[in-house]
Order: sequence, then structure tokens, then C-alpha cells
Amino acid sequence: MSPSHPSCRAIEPDLVALAGGEATPTAAQAVQEHTAHCPSCRDALRQYRAVEGLVADLRRVPLPEVDSTLARSQLASRLADLRSRMMSFGLFASPLGPILIARSEQGVSMVEYLESEAAIDSRLARLSGLDAVENPSQVESFHRDLLDYLAGRRTHLDWPLDLRWARSAFQRRVLEATGRLPYGAVTSYGHIARDIGAPSATRAVAQALRWNPVPIAIPCHRVIGSSGDLTGYSGNKVGLKQRLLTLEGVPVTGHRHLQIERPAMYARYQAGDEYCLPSCGDIGTMPMADVTLFGSRDRAEDAGLLPCSSCRPDLHPLEA
Amino acid sequence: MGRVMGEDAFEIVVAAHHAEIHRYVLRVTARSTDADDLSQETFIRAFRAHRTLPPDANFRAWLFAIATNVCRNYFRGEKRRRLAYAAAGHDAPAADPAGPDGRVLVSEASGRIDAIVSRLPMKQRLAFTMRKMHDLDYEAIGKSLDCSEDSARAHVFQALKKIRRGLDELASMDTEPVR
Repeated sequence: MSPSHPSCRAIEPDLVALAGGEATPTAAQAVQEHTAHCPSCRDALRQYRAVEGLVADLRRVPLPEVDSTLARSQLASRLADLRSRMMSFGLFASPLGPILIARSEQGVSMVEYLESEAAIDSRLARLSGLDAVENPSQVESFHRDLLDYLAGRRTHLDWPLDLRWARSAFQRRVLEATGRLPYGAVTSYGHIARDIGAPSATRAVAQALRWNPVPIAIPCHRVIGSSGDLTGYSGNKVGLKQRLLTLEGVPVTGHRHLQIERPAMYARYQAGDEYCLPSCGDIGTMPMADVTLFGSRDRAEDAGLLPCSSCRPDLHPLEA
Repeated sequence: MGRVMGEDAFEIVVAAHHAEIHRYVLRVTARSTDADDLSQETFIRAFRAHRTLPPDANFRAWLFAIATNVCRNYFRGEKRRRLAYAAAGHDAPAADPAGPDGRVLVSEASGRIDAIVSRLPMKQRLAFTMRKMHDLDYEAIGKSLDCSEDSARAHVFQALKKIRRGLDELASMDTEPVR
């Protein structure tokens, strides 16, 4: 038989399998029967066995291993870098609607209100371009804290935060200053601007807080306009700002035009250590940038303030 | 949602498979600098994706599949570069004139196999290398190459057939009959 004979062509895969030690018993049997009367396939089988021997030799050829250790150490540092930038995130239900929480190994890096299914999808698509992996178990404890907070069972979210994604050093300073505002207090953008040593940067402060990556954890809802207007929150969600402030005992009035009720709030002058009645001196009419307001004495005292020694809010508290 | 693999667990994966994946990539590309980059790329991709792997996944086969993809992309890039150089009327920079990193070949014949393998079509070369150099099963090879187990087997078969014919031709040219 010639090698081009159909039965020789048909047996060739079995020859290869037998030479490579992969033949089934049936295939081995077929090869034996065929080669018994076909010298050219016998040759072919011998050649395939020789090839297998040479391949085994080739396998034993040492490859340069030195470089592999170098590659390994480069890999280790790239992985460490990647790991530090990697985020785990989860989507959760909350009284404020669906919320996305993301964290890196340094801390919480993102809290985001999601309005619709579409918002969730587009958010997820953008996140997967960052090194983000959906892994709710990594952020579940933050979700629990958040639920406690929204139910009034907790007044602090003492989370480690990762603000490396802040848009600028300026924004980071604004966020850090805002993070120091106590529970139940409100102040103005101008106050934060002065706090970070940039008193004329009120609008820039408002912009920086507009892009707060971790709302609630950094309580930008406690920062309002100089007239006492709630202004905006996380795009068009000023209603959420109202809910968060109300939860903390800050009186808010108005329907379309939400404002804090300044006459119903205690006030602290600049960085003083006392809190006053709104009728104390001219504190009731001072620019918002000079005061921090509290909805109750408890909130002011929780923040470490003492009752003013002249207006004595402890003796003549505001009507609740 | 797949299981969550701890960071340490990924370190174990790297420790267990890095050297082998590096060897595989080096065999396939025959250039050590590229092999360094490509094996790194393989593990970086693996790291990004490993959290979604099912718990019973075969990690080694999965890493080979990633490495194979990385290599195929690399070859596509190489081809584009060659075409771009050709279109510009230049020769592409010589690819390793000294041969594959001066490794010592045990025999002239195995060196010939190396040469024949390096000229095989990409899928055959990858399938051959996975099967004969790294003992992967056909199912894993099929997954790596995005084809069926039978096609994977056929790629290896074609590779061996060409190696046999190639050695046969060389032997007859050298007038050293193999038979």
C-alpha cells in the first residue's frame, strides 16, 4: 500500500496516538493489524516514535531560568500596585434607594446613590474599566453601618477612607475639612473655604463637594448656602440632603425652596468652644461663614461644646 | 458571584505556576524579553479575573488559556508590525539573529524540530507546545484555543505530521536516510 492509500490516511492519527502513548486499545489493535501488512505505515510509526523521542529530548533542554526570577519579582511589584488600586464593590438597597459602596485595601473609596436601573448599568460599566470587582462581602459591613446610621442607631461612620481618587489636592482638603463637621451641625461653603485657608474659594468648595466621592461618610450634606438654603446635593437630590439633615435633628422648612430654620438652632461662633442661643448678641444675624449651627443642645454638647456663659442655653433652651 | 480568593491564595498560584507559564511563553515566542512581559501580562490578567473563577476551576489550565491568548495577541501585534515595516519599505528589526536565547540543544535533530515548530501555523504550534511540552489534556488545549477537544487533537496531529515530514525531508537532503 502507498502512503496515500485511503486506509493509510485513515490510520495515521492512530499511528500518532500510539507513538505518543495516547492510543485507545481499539486504535492500537487497528494499527497492529494495518502495519502487519503495510510496510510504509510501519515506517511511519517508527518515525513518529522517533519524533516522540526527539520531542522528549527537546523538553529536557534547559531554558534560561535566571530571567524567570527577574520577571517574577517585577510581577510581584506590579501585583502589589494593582492590588492597592483594586476596588471591591457591592450594590445595596437602602432607605435612600439603591446605593453602591466600593472600597480599596486602604478604605472606602466610593459611595454612590443610584437612581435607576440604567444608572446602575452605566455605573458598573465605568467601574469595570477601573480595577473594580463586584464583591459585596468586602463592603457588607459598611452597608450595615450605613443602615444603622440611616435608622438613627449610629451617629458616626468611622470608616477608613481612600481619597486617592480625589480630583485635586484642593478637593482633598475640602473633603477632609468637611469630614470634621460634627453630627447634627450645619455650616456654609464659605466656612469650609475659610477653614482650609482659602476664604475666597467658596464656589470652588461647592464644586469640590459636588463631586464628593463618599457622601454621608464625608457629610457634605451638612454644608449649605450662605443664605441658609440647602442648595444642591449629589446632582439633583436635594431631597436626600433634607432627609439626612432631618435625621440629624436639623430643622428644615420650605417645599420647593428648602432652608434651614436658623432661628430654631443653636450657634457656635467660628471655632469657639461654646454654643449660644440665636438671640445671644448678634450671632443670629452673623454671616453663615462665621457660625456652625446645631438643631439641639445634645448635638452641640456631643460635639464637645459648652453652653454659653452669658445667654445660658442650658437654662433657657429653645422650644423643641 | 464566584468565591473570594484571598490575596495570599493568589500568591500561592503565582508561586506554583509562574515558572511553568514563563517556560511556556518562552517556548512559544522564543524571546526571553518578550516572555518576561507576556508571562507578567498573563498573571496580571489572571489576578484581575481570578475572583470570578468557580471554586472547582482548574487553575493551571486556566492560566495556560490566558497565556495562550496573550501570546496570540502578541503574534498578531508582531504581524502588524512586520506589515507596517514592509509597507514603509523597511526591514523589521531582526528577531533574535542569534537564535532562541542561545539555549543549548541536546541534539541537532531536536534543534530541527524546534525550527519546524517555529514555522508551524500558530494554533498548531500552541497546541503542540501545550500537549507535548506541558502535558495539557486536549480539553484544556481546546479551551485555550477556543475550539473543540477534537480540533485540539487535530492541531497536535497536524503539527506532528509536519514534524515527521520535515525531518524526513531534511534527512533525505542530508542523504542520511532515517529508515
